[in-house]
Amino acid sequence: MKTDDLIAGLAARTPVIPASLAWRRLSVAVLAAALAALVILKLGWGMRPDIHEAMRTSAFWMKALYTLALGAAGLLLVERVGRPGARTGAGLFVLAAALLTIAGLAARELMALPIADWRADWTGESSWHCPMRITILAAPAFAAALLVLRRMAPPRPVLAGAAAGLLAGGVGATVYGLGCTETAAAFTAGWYTLGVAVWAAVGALVGPRVLRW
Amino acid sequence: MSGQAALDGVEARLKGLMLRGLDGDGASQGELLSTLSRHLRAYFARRLGHDAPDVEDLVQEALLAVHLKRDTYDRRQPFTPWAYGVARYKLLDHFRRSGARRETPLEDAGALFAAEEVSEREAQLDLERLMDGLPARQRALVRDVKLTGLSVEEASRRAGLSPGAAKVSVHRGVQAMARKVRDEDR
Repeated sequence: MKTDDLIAGLAARTPVIPASLAWRRLSVAVLAAALAALVILKLGWGMRPDIHEAMRTSAFWMKALYTLALGAAGLLLVERVGRPGARTGAGLFVLAAALLTIAGLAARELMALPIADWRADWTGESSWHCPMRITILAAPAFAAALLVLRRMAPPRPVLAGAAAGLLAGGVGATVYGLGCTETAAAFTAGWYTLGVAVWAAVGALVGPRVLRW
Repeated sequence: MSGQAALDGVEARLKGLMLRGLDGDGASQGELLSTLSRHLRAYFARRLGHDAPDVEDLVQEALLAVHLKRDTYDRRQPFTPWAYGVARYKLLDHFRRSGARRETPLEDAGALFAAEEVSEREAQLDLERLMDGLPARQRALVRDVKLTGLSVEEASRRAGLSPGAAKVSVHRGVQAMARKVRDEDR
């Protein structure tokens, strides 16, 4: 086919493109995936029984804000990494700020404890449950984020896959926070972060395969 | 004109076309795609070699991507980095599929959009050099007719020749220049 004929053919099919299409698709995807995660939490392990009292504690909100910040970083990144030539600074900044803040809070918490108590503080009572359940709760969001990215044009598929995983992990961890009774910052910094990192790593691995265009 | 100023001009023009295309204007979209096709051809040719058979395939693939992935362009952002991002991705994709491992440094959008400007300037210099080999009157005729775009009648009046003689002189001048190119290429 001649290039000029191709151009004429394409130009003849030039539909109107609504602005902010990516944000619309992303918010639908994230809301649907968060709802799915809530249903899994309810059916699987249930909400924490003391959720109403917990919502009056700062530990609950520390955890929620941390996981929401990870999800927000993922959301900002996904919206950018799907666009050729776009800068990813804002998402990476939010991610770095969230990680540094939780690390700082965990360090302050541990410093106030005798070394003998550190292990109990950071492993809590449900250490391995936490990353495993976050991984399960994040699965719908991971699939949804990849679907959105497949309709975009990610020039760096490893980064794009990792961003999808970060967004999914943030959604999964935030929902899991409604069912988890751990309160320590060190626990959150370790196990929650691990749960989120699982999908980010998977995303980086599968990105080059599933995000080609 | 400096490279940056040229790039700014290209940016303003292409972004305008892109925005109108996004609003459904097919004529602007067609103009955008054909301008891009020239930049893309020069960009891919410089990286694959000028006679590589894949260049035109890649140009078409990149144009298709530009058209089908229009929705990933953010209207608040400059256009040329987006277009360069598409072109570079398609080039890397091509290298990967063909099994070649090649370094493709991440450059700025100028790598795509300066290409044509450079080759135009080179072509200009080549022409000047070739015309220098012609006698003065013939050189003036060729320049007036072929570069300035005067009609043969106007050019012949300026050269003090009959239109018929001017036409023959221009024709022979161009032939002489073509011969020179062939000799140099040998």
